[in-house]
Amino acid sequence: MNLRKLGALAFGAMFVAAACNTGGGTATGTPGGTSAATATAAATKGTVKVAVEMPFQGSEKAASDPVLKGVRLALKQAGGAAGGYTVQVADADVYDDSINGAHDPQTGAKNTKAIVTDPDYIAQIGPLNSSVAKVQIPISNAAGLLQCSPANTNEGLTKPEFGALDIRNVHPDVINYVRMVTTDNNQGPAMAKYGIKNLGLKSIYVIDDTETFGKGIADNFAKEWIAEGGTVVKHDGAPKTTTDYSSLMTAAAALHPDSIYFGGVTSTGGARILNASVQAGLGDVKFLGSDGIQDGGAATPDSFLNLAADNAKNSFTTTAAIGDYPGKVAFDAAYKAEYGVDPGSYSGTGFACMQVILKALGTAAGTNPADMAGLREAVRKAAVDPTVTYDTVLGQMHFDKNGDTSQLIVSIFAFDAATKTWVFKEQLDFAK
Amino acid sequence: MTTAAQPVDTTGRRYPQWVVLSVVSAIVVILFATTLTFQPLLSGHPPDLATATQQTANALSLGAIYALIALGYTMVYGIIELINFAHGDVFMVGAFIAMTFLRTGFQATTLLGMGIGLAALGGFALFLGWGLVSGLGIRRAAPRLLALALVVGATVGLEFGVKQTGPITDGLTLTAVLIPTFLIAMIIIAATNVTIERLAYRPLRKKSRLAPLLTAVGISFILQNIVIVWQGTGDRPVPQLVPLVKFELLGAHINWLNMFILVLALALMVGLQTFVNRTRLGRAMRSTAQDQQAAQLMGVDLNQTISVTFLIGGALAGAAGVFQGLYFGFVRFDLGFNAGLKAFTSAVLGGIGNLTGAVIGGFLIGFVEVFAAAVGQQRWSQAIVFMVLIVVLIIRPAGILGQQVGERA
Repeated sequence: MNLRKLGALAFGAMFVAAACNTGGGTATGTPGGTSAATATAAATKGTVKVAVEMPFQGSEKAASDPVLKGVRLALKQAGGAAGGYTVQVADADVYDDSINGAHDPQTGAKNTKAIVTDPDYIAQIGPLNSSVAKVQIPISNAAGLLQCSPANTNEGLTKPEFGALDIRNVHPDVINYVRMVTTDNNQGPAMAKYGIKNLGLKSIYVIDDTETFGKGIADNFAKEWIAEGGTVVKHDGAPKTTTDYSSLMTAAAALHPDSIYFGGVTSTGGARILNASVQAGLGDVKFLGSDGIQDGGAATPDSFLNLAADNAKNSFTTTAAIGDYPGKVAFDAAYKAEYGVDPGSYSGTGFACMQVILKALGTAAGTNPADMAGLREAVRKAAVDPTVTYDTVLGQMHFDKNGDTSQLIVSIFAFDAATKTWVFKEQLDFAK
Repeated sequence: MTTAAQPVDTTGRRYPQWVVLSVVSAIVVILFATTLTFQPLLSGHPPDLATATQQTANALSLGAIYALIALGYTMVYGIIELINFAHGDVFMVGAFIAMTFLRTGFQATTLLGMGIGLAALGGFALFLGWGLVSGLGIRRAAPRLLALALVVGATVGLEFGVKQTGPITDGLTLTAVLIPTFLIAMIIIAATNVTIERLAYRPLRKKSRLAPLLTAVGISFILQNIVIVWQGTGDRPVPQLVPLVKFELLGAHINWLNMFILVLALALMVGLQTFVNRTRLGRAMRSTAQDQQAAQLMGVDLNQTISVTFLIGGALAGAAGVFQGLYFGFVRFDLGFNAGLKAFTSAVLGGIGNLTGAVIGGFLIGFVEVFAAAVGQQRWSQAIVFMVLIVVLIIRPAGILGQQVGERA
C-alpha cells in the first residue's frame, strides 16, 4: 500500500518536474554573452532594452545562438550604450519562440505582444523565421515598435507587390520592420543561376516544407530554374511532421533528376530528406538548399551537417547576405576571441542589426523625446529613414522605402569534406 | 481479443477469415501496384512497374512497423477495453533506447559521471525489475531472479552501448550487433509497459472507464517530457547499420533493409499468433478478452494475464522502435504521437480487439500513406488515411475483421 502511494507520488513529481522543463518562455542566453550594464558615460538617461526573439530549441538553436552572440558582441563593442542611454540585452530579454523543437508562430506572436507592452523595449531583433515574422509584424506595426530581422527572407514581409500591405495592415504607411538580409526573390534565383551555370545541372526535383519561407523560396527557385533553361521534374510539399520520405523519394528517383532542391530549414526536414534521398538511390545527385540548412558545421549539435554527416558531400546552400566583405576577417577574429567558436551564417547580420539600432538610438536621443513611448517612435523613425547610410560590419548600406536593405547580395556556400563545414564559393549581386 | 473469430456481416452470412484476409490483401496490393504502374501515363511517361514495385516495398516496411505497434493497441483494448494512448510513446522510447545503445550508451568520461550513470541506471533497472515482478505476480524465487537479471542485463548493456557509426558489411558482425539491440529494446520496453500498467492502470481498473484513459494520456506526456529532458527536442540520428545493398525485382532495386524489416516483423507476428493460440497464457488472454469474470471463475489469474498482455505489447513496440531507427535513421520525441495515431487507426480499421485485423490494418495504412505520397499528395496523406478509416467504418462499423458484438450491460 505504501509502496503504491510512493510510486504514485514519484510519478506525480516526475510529471511536474518534466512539465516545468518544457514550453516556451524565456530562453537562457548563451554563456559568454554579457548583458551590457557598464555605461561609458558617467550619468545615463536611463536603461533601454532591446529584445531578441528567436527559436532556441532543438535544431533551431544551432541557427539562433550565433545570431544572439553577434548581437551581444556589437553591444559590447559599442560600450553598452548609445545616445546617453544604457542599452541592455539581458537573458530576460531573450525570447524563445520554439515549441517542441521547432519555431512556432503563435508563440512568437505571444512574445512580441509581451515585448510591445513593456515600455522599456525600444526595438526587437528577430525573428529568424518568416512564418513567425508574418504574425509578429502586425503586432509591432500597431505598436510602432522597431523590428530588425537578421534572417527573414520572405519577400512578402516588406514588399507591397508581394502582399506586405496586408501584413502591416494597421499602419500601412508606417515602416517599422527592417531587415539586414535580402529577399527570397533574390535568394532562390541565385541558387538557380549557380546550379545551371556553375554546376551545369539540368533537371531538378524540388521539395519544400509547405511553410511561408520554404514554399516561397522553392517557388522562386523553380521559376528561375525554368527561366534559365532547366527542368523541374517534380515539386512536392511535405510538412514538417512527415517521418517517411521514402515514397516521395522513390517517386522522384524514378524521374532521374540530377539534383534536388530543398526549401525549408533543418528542423522542418532538411537532413531527413537528404538521408531519405540517399536511401532511395539519389546519393550522388547535388543537393541544393537555402540559408535554412546553413546552421553550422558538423560539430554544431543538431545542425544540418551534424545530422546529415557524410551524406552532405554534394550539398550547396545560400545566405541572403554578403559573404565576402572587407571587414570579415576582423569580425571573425573578434567573434572567435570573444566566444571561442567561429561565427554562424547570420552572426554578421545580427551584429549589423544591433549597430543600426544603436545608431538610431543615438539620433533619437538627440530629439529629446518626452517619454519612453516618444523614444520608441523616434528610434523607429530614425532607423527606417531611407536617407541615412549605415556603416555596418557588412559594409555601407541603407534601407529602402519598404525596409529592405540596399545590399542585394546572395552568397553561395558548398560543403567542404575536409573541414566538414560550409565554405564560401561566390556571391551574386542583384543590384547590378 | 480474437484470432480465430468468424466475422459476421449484417446480413448474417459468415465468411471464413482467410477469405476476407485474402480478398482484402489482394484488392489492396493489386489496386496499389496497378495505379502506380499506370499513373505515369497521365503525364506522358511509359508505365512504370519498377517504381510501383519499389513503392510496394516501401509500403510493406512502413506497414510492418505500424502493424507491430497496432498489435499492442489491439491486445490491450481487447483485454481491458482501454485505449492505451501511451503505447505510441512507449514505441518512441524504444526507438531512443535502440539509438542510445547503438551510439554511445550512457558512458561518461569521468569516474564520478560513470558512478552517477551506473547508479541512475541501476535504480531504473531495479524499478523496472520491481514493476515486472510485481506486475506479473511472480512468486517463486528463481523466476524472480531471472526477470531481474534480464532487466539488469539489458540496462547494463544500454549503459555501455556498442558505439556504431555506420553500415556493417560483415553479416556475422551485423547479426552480433542487432541481436542485443533488439533484445535490449524489447526487454526494457516490455518491462516499462508492465510497470506502467502496474502503477498507473491497475489501481484504476475497477473505477470509472475514463480514469485509465486520462491516465494513459498523462503517461504519454510524461514519457515525451522525460525524453525531451534526456535528449532534447531535435532529431537524433541513428547509425545506419544495415548497408544499402539492393536486389533486383521486376526492374526495381530494392534495399535488403526493406525485406529484413518485413521478414522479421512477420516472424514476430507469427510468434505472437502461436503464443496466443497454442500456449496456456495465450488461452488465458483469449478467455479474459471474451469474458473477464468467467475466466476468473475458470482459474485465470487476471492480474497476471493483463500484465502478460502489456509485456508482449511492449516487446513488440520495442522491436518496432528498433526498426524505426534502422529504417528512418533518426528518432524524435514526437514520433510516438504520429506513429501511435496511425497505428491506433490501423487497429480500429482492422477491427479493434482482433490481432489479424491489427496486422491487416497496419499494412493497409502503410499502403494508403505511401500511395498518397506517391501520387504527389504528401500534405494530405494524414487526411487521406483518416478518410479511408471513416469510409471503412461507415461500411463496416466494427472494422474489417471486427465482430459485431452487442453492447455489454
